Order: sequence, then structure tokens, then C-alpha cells
Amino acid sequence: MKRLLTLLLLAIFTLALLVGCAERSPLDPKNPVTLSMWHNYGGDMQSSMDMLIDQFNSTVGKEQGIVIDVTAISSSSELNKNLTMIANGDPGAPAMPDIFTGYPKVAAQFLEKDLLVDLKDYFTDTELSQYVDAFVAEGIFPDGGLYVFPIAKSTEVLYVNKTLFDRFAKATGASVEQLSTFEGLADLSRLYYQWTDSQTPDVPNDGKQFYAADSWFNFTEVGAVQKGGSLFAGEALDLDSDFFRSIFETLYIPAAEGGFSIYDGYSSDLSKTGDIICSTGSSAGILFYGDTITYRDGTVETVDYSILPYPVFEGGTKTALQRGGGLMVAKSTEQKEYAACLFIQWLTAPEQNMQFIAETGYLPVTKQAFEEDMPVLLDTLEDLRIREMLTSVLSMYDSYTFFTAPNYSDFDTQSSTFEQDLKAFLTEARSRYLSGVPQTAADALTEFLQP
Amino acid sequence: MLKQALTLWKKERTKKGTTLRRRLQSFFLSVSLSLVLLFALLLIVFGITGTGESTVHGHLETELFGLVETINDDFGRAALGGISIAEDLTLRSDHFFAQQQITAAQLPDHPELLEPLLAAQIQTLISTVRNRYCGGAFVLLDATVQPDTSDADRAKAGIFLKKTLPTATDIVGVDIHYLRGPAQIARDHGIMLIGQWRMEYDIEGQEFFTHVMEIARQNPDLPLSRLYYWTPRVTLKGNSESGFLLCVPLRSNDGTVFGLCGIEISDRLFKSFYTPKSGVYENLFTLMAPSSGSDLLATEGLIAGNYYLTGSRWTENLLSVDTSKGLLYFSAGQDDYGGLTAALRLYPEGSPYSEASWAVALLMPRALLDDAAKGNVVVLICIVLVLLALSSVASILISRRYLHPVTEALQSIRQPSADERKAVPYVEISDLLDFLEEKDRGHEEALREREEDRQQLLGQYEQAQRELSRLAYSRKTEVDPDLYQQFLNHLSTLTPTEREVFDLYLAGKHAKEILEILSIKENTLKYHNKNIYSKLGVTSRKELLRYAALMQQESK
Repeated sequence: MKRLLTLLLLAIFTLALLVGCAERSPLDPKNPVTLSMWHNYGGDMQSSMDMLIDQFNSTVGKEQGIVIDVTAISSSSELNKNLTMIANGDPGAPAMPDIFTGYPKVAAQFLEKDLLVDLKDYFTDTELSQYVDAFVAEGIFPDGGLYVFPIAKSTEVLYVNKTLFDRFAKATGASVEQLSTFEGLADLSRLYYQWTDSQTPDVPNDGKQFYAADSWFNFTEVGAVQKGGSLFAGEALDLDSDFFRSIFETLYIPAAEGGFSIYDGYSSDLSKTGDIICSTGSSAGILFYGDTITYRDGTVETVDYSILPYPVFEGGTKTALQRGGGLMVAKSTEQKEYAACLFIQWLTAPEQNMQFIAETGYLPVTKQAFEEDMPVLLDTLEDLRIREMLTSVLSMYDSYTFFTAPNYSDFDTQSSTFEQDLKAFLTEARSRYLSGVPQTAADALTEFLQP
Repeated sequence: MLKQALTLWKKERTKKGTTLRRRLQSFFLSVSLSLVLLFALLLIVFGITGTGESTVHGHLETELFGLVETINDDFGRAALGGISIAEDLTLRSDHFFAQQQITAAQLPDHPELLEPLLAAQIQTLISTVRNRYCGGAFVLLDATVQPDTSDADRAKAGIFLKKTLPTATDIVGVDIHYLRGPAQIARDHGIMLIGQWRMEYDIEGQEFFTHVMEIARQNPDLPLSRLYYWTPRVTLKGNSESGFLLCVPLRSNDGTVFGLCGIEISDRLFKSFYTPKSGVYENLFTLMAPSSGSDLLATEGLIAGNYYLTGSRWTENLLSVDTSKGLLYFSAGQDDYGGLTAALRLYPEGSPYSEASWAVALLMPRALLDDAAKGNVVVLICIVLVLLALSSVASILISRRYLHPVTEALQSIRQPSADERKAVPYVEISDLLDFLEEKDRGHEEALREREEDRQQLLGQYEQAQRELSRLAYSRKTEVDPDLYQQFLNHLSTLTPTEREVFDLYLAGKHAKEILEILSIKENTLKYHNKNIYSKLGVTSRKELLRYAALMQQESK
């Protein structure tokens, strides 16, 4: 009798063990788990991301029981605004999505409240070793946890409307080599303003702007690093330095004189209407530039763009910002966390990653995609704009040093405030200049630094 | 043959009775079976397991009812909002035309006025996007900034504002992007251009514009409340997102139809608002589309809720194939779907579009619907079977475990020695065994006493025999042979009773014993004795016993 009972118990235990081994995944295809996702891939990039998500949902998702439900697509800044509200627990804040794109600085806010999954719990060291080390390192925080998983990376480049620049160069002798330094850009901007102003002698001061930066904070931050310094002292901005003084001077004069555009939006907006010739911005912004210019009278002109490496301050080292956020996973049930990580793994696998790269101009994140698949892609890519951009960025990876922005929680607020203050100051400087009461760069800097 | 064997088995069973174990197992099994069936019955009675199609139908009906109410309400309010925007924009435009001293009909001849006219209208659109239920708001004028180009016919000036987060409200902050319109107007209002920005609309292949304009021009007497139009799903040229557009004509105070305006119910907005709420059926989705008879023109509709499908990638219309118990089934290429539909009323009486039929459907893949329609019957059956199996095993195990000491006790009764019996865990059985043991001891005692009595009697008998032999031997020589012969001869003359008495004497019985044995009185015995003596020629019992002993001696 006892023997029978023992055998029975043994059989049940073995069966449970076998079932347990077979069902290691907490997912059930018949009861799919739905993950809400927010991302910032808008415009043309939206359809690429939608396509990938559809592909996942109808294949791996369907087999495993995962449904990715995109509930918000927005610009990075707006996404950050909403995520910050969530992190702060503001009244009226939307529900926290299960997966969302964002920068490490956003992750820092969530980490303070222990709301993010440490992705090292779901990825083995071997799996992580397949990704570009520097990209993974960007998402690792001081506690050693990986909270931001690289999905696609970018850097900053110089977009040049080649059609307009050639026209300008032909008339003035301007050289494309001058675009390799910010001082050269400043000189050319003055020349361009004067040249365009001279085309309408009856209307004074109607010259056109030459250059705009998507982020003057990045301009300053990268400049400091190029000059061998840093814009930060601990977790605060350090503007009382020779580096900053030099950068400010390079920026202030052309901004006041009208060669640099101080615009409250993306510089691609200005490019689309031919209001500037060149701009620095994310390499992933290529699709926003289009291939035409629409003038105010409705005339549309087809143009070509050149993508050049990020300019360097004279005497500085070739340094650029490594950009591109990653995916974060909200702490939730084991089932949701597991599903989210499965999706991330699928999305960043070379095949899918390259598909996204080819349509958006981002850089892939796996070593295989970066080192082996990219050269093949460059030979076969049909979109010439993306091909040119990727070629330029790859050449930068050979000769430039890249750095990432700090991760501390106040970084976002500090950088936004700096950007707004600087823009307001430069806009006022332009007004003063037009009013005939210009300030010297030194005086302006003193005024700007006043608390 | 089998029947005979069964009969024989039953007969044998009846004769021998059943075993305790079988009886207990049968009892347990009966109880388990009854409980399991009662459990199943209660689940069915209280509708916990559902009864298949009726449950699915009921659920879909409730969900659909709520959905139709919501959509009718939302789209009705959207239409009223659209009319309000049109009235506002028309008022501003008429004011502008008056300022510029032109008529609405002359607008196409003044392309330089388009940007200022649109600049005058943008505030209404911003307010609409911020405060109303929509994914975007637009105005589209029947004019272009470049009327002299070859593309002038398909280029239309206007503005299209899009909400980045279509479900956002003012509280969270609405981010507005600029899809169409003069760039300078966007910059003046701090609105960012979207990636697909274009200055003007390209209406080539998008018939809704000319359709709405023509209908409005053909019906100059109809109010705007009868002239608005909902487009099927449309993707503006160069845009990445599709949606339904509510189009309301712009009609100046002189009756000239000079453009249209409206709002967009975008793909994402629709998905956010109309995804089935209950979550009972994961793959249930909402489809809102124009309908044709029983068919649904899904390629022109929007869907919400089925995450494996995306509206913009739906390439087949849904053709009605059959109905079953109130559920409708559709075929879309290689895929089949089933669910419920309801008609929508998007237009009021008197509208030129009132013939257009729209429907909203709650659908799911047919295979999944069939699974859902089966309800939990299969699950219930499985549960019942598993419970039955478990209870059977439990019955067997419990019966065995319970009866094991009983059968052991019964076995131990057969053991000769009480010392060899095992301890029994049941009090009743222990008491019974003690009782039997006590009774055994009583029997043994009585047996021993009887044996002793028998041995004693046997001794007495042997002594009497020895005495008799001794007497016979001693008297033989004293006996007169003639008298002895007479004694022998007359033995046969004794009556049966006398012979009985004689035999008892012969057996060594005393007079008292003979009285007891024959239950006669002493006088009766004396009477018999007298007759016996007389017939056998003896005078006393002593002489009688002497002859008798001699006779026995001789017979040996």
C-alpha cells in the first residue's frame, strides 16, 4: 500500500516537474498579455515602427501571447513631459506605459521611485555581449542595473542644403571646408547674411540666416568637451570657464548679426522653407528634411542635402554626442516584464534592427548589425539620403570620439532651462543689434551669467 | 455464455456476499459522483460555466449596445462641433472678404490673400484641436497660391493641425503639429511642422473634396446641418496616419461655397476610444465602416481593439457568409470573422448623404469565436472527469486504508493464540475480540469439567463391571442349574417394562436411579420387581443379580 502511494506521489511529482520544464515561459498564447507602448518615432519613422510592431504582433507575439499596443506616439520632448508627470505622480498624469522610449535622464527620475525593471534580470551576459558595449553602457546606472536598453542610436551631424550652398559658394567663393569648424560656420553665416541682404538693396537688414542648431545646449556641451573641458561640475552646470566664454563668443556674434538662427523648433522646419542653409541635429532626423524647399509664394524647389561630420571648434578634438534613447520597461507582473523583454530582444535583433535602420537612418545596436550588416546595407540601400547619412556617420565613428550626456535626475530641467534662457538672450541680442545698440560679446556674457 | 457466467457470478456473490472493501468503495464512489454532479449542476444553474453561444451573444450584445450609443453620441457631437467651426470660419472669412473688398468667388484670383485669410482662421482651428474630441482639425480652400501652374487643379490652400496625442486634453497639455499650411503661420503661433509637412493639400485621388463641394453647391438651400459628410477612412497624401474626416462646407453669406473644414477622427483616436472595454474576449475588436447590405466595407473603416490587426493594413472587405444563433459570420479573403453588427445613423433626415449606410461591428476571428461559443463546457467536462478520477482514486485509497486494520483484525481472529494478534486501532473491534476471547475461555472451562465428570463416571462403571464379574464368578458354583435354566427360560415372559427394569438392574442401576430414569413411583417399581421375581423364579434382588451376572458372564 505504502509502495503504491509512494509510486503515485513520485509520478505526480515527475509530471509536475516535466510540465514545469516545458512551461518555463509565463506566457499563454490563448490569453495574450497586452503591453502598452509609447514611442517617439513620429512622422515617416512611425510607419516603420508600426510595421515592425505589426510584424511582431502577428508572428512572435501571436505564438507567445504578447500584444504590443502603441497608445502614444509623440515627440521626445512631449513624451518626456508626460513621463516626468508620471514619475512625479502629478494629478492628471496618464497611466504609466509598460514600455517606452526615453533617454537615461528620464530613467533617472523613475529610478528614484523604483519604477523600472533592471533588464539584467532578463538578459544574460552572453546576450548583452552581442550589443555594442558603449550603447549598453549608456543605459547602466551607478547601481549596476541596466535600465535603458539600446534600440537605435544616433549622433549629431551637419545637414547642408547643397543646392543652396553651391549657389552661395558660386557667388561668394565660400568653401565647403569652412563648414568643418564652428568658427568657419560663423564666418560663412556673416558672409551669407551680407550676400542675401545685398540682393535687395532697397530693404535693409533682410539678409537670410545661414545656420541653426536643434539644441544650443548640445552645441555648448559638445563644444566644452571638444575644447577639453566639461560643461558640468558634479550635478550642476559650470558656466564660469574659459571653455564656455569661448563658445559663447563664437555663438553670440553671428546670432546677434543674424547669421545664426535662434528658432524655437527643429531646424528642419527652417530647412524646408529654405530659411537656412545648414543645421546641426540628430542623424536620425534625416527624414524630416525632405528633398524639397517650399518657398513662401508656394514655389517648390527640389534640393540635395549633404551630410557632413559634426563641426569642431578650432583647436578642439573631434568629439560628438552619442544620442538616441532606449527602451525602458515599467515594473509590473513577471508575465509583463518577461513579455516586454522578449519584445525588446526581438526588436533589437539584427534582422529587425537593420530593417528599422534602413528606413529611418538610425544606427543599429548589435555588434553583428553594426560591423557586418551595415556595409552590406550601404551597398543596397535605395534611399540615397539615408545612405549618405549612414556613410557620414560611419566615417565619424572611425575618427571621432563619442560621449553621452550625464544621467542625473536634474539634468533634463537644467538643460531645458539653459536652452530657453540662452535662446531668449540671443533673441534679445538680435533685437538690440537691429535697434543699433549692439553689445560686445564680453558684456553680453557678463550679463548672461548674472543670476 | 457471457450471460450464464454473469448469472453464475451473481449467484455466487449473493451466496457468499460482497467484501467490506468493495462495499465501502461503492459507497465512497456513489457519494463522490453525487457531489461532483451536484457541483457541475450548480455551475450550470448559476451560469458560471456559461452555455456557449447564448453567453457570447449576450456579452456581445451588451458591449455593442454601449458602443453604438457612444459612437452615435460622439459622432453626433463631432458633427455639431464641425458645423460650429464652419460657421465661425465662414464669419471670419466674410469679414476678411469685406475688408479686402472681394467676394468669396473671387478668392482664387487673389492668391496673395490666402495666407492672411488662413492666418485669420488658425485660432479657431487651434481652439478646436485643444478643446474638442478629435485627432486634428482642418480647413481646405478651393484656391491655391500658385493658380498659374499645371498642378493648380489639385493644389488647395489650407491648414491641417494634428494632435500628437489624440486623447490628450488641455489638462495634460496638447501638443499640436502642423501638417499643412503656410509655414510662417505655424512659426507665428509656435507650432512645429510635422515631418510630412507640405504647404498645400494635394487632392489628386481624394474625391471627398470635390464631392462635398459639389453636393453643397447643388443644395444651396440646405442648412449646414444637412450638408456635413463623413469620409470613409482616408489617408491624406503624404500623411502617415489615416482616419475619418468630418467635412463641412464653407459657404459665404452670398451663398458661394469656397472651401470646407472639419475635424479628423484619427486611427489612434478611434483605437483609444472604441476598443471593447470588458476584456472578456481578448481578440474582440470594433470595426466601424460603411456597409453594403450585410457586407462591411472594412477597407474603408477603422478598427480598434484587435492588436493583431491594424486598420491601415486591412485589405479585404468583410463579406457576410452565414448566421448562427444570432451571430454573424464574415469572410475576408482567407480569414473568417464572426460577431454582431449594428447600423449607425450618421446623417439626419433630409441630408443628401442619408442613404449612406454605416455599421459598427464587434468581431473576432471565427475560430476564436467558435471556441468562445463552446463556452466552458469542455473545461467543465474536463474538471468533472478529473474530479471523478481523483475521487475514485481517493475512494480506493481511503477504503483500503480504512479497512486494512479491520481485515487484519478479522485475520487475527483465526490465530490460535491471542498473543499473536496485532493491536487494532478501532475500539469496537477490540471490544469484540475481547468478548470472543472471554467466551472462548468459558467454553474451555466447561469442556474441562465435563471431561472430569466423564472420567469419574467411567471409573465408576469399570468398578461396577469388575464387581459384577467378581460376583458372577463367586456365585457360579452356588447356583442351582435347574433354577438358573428356569430363569433363562422365563426371561422371555417379561413384559417390556419389566424387561426395561431388568436391564437397568443388569446395568448396575440402583432402585433410585431406575425410579428417576423411568419416572415411576416406588410402588410401581416394587410391583414390577415382584412380577419379575415371580416369573424368573427368584426371591430377592440379590438372587436376581446373581443369575443376571452369570448370564452376562456366559454371553461374553
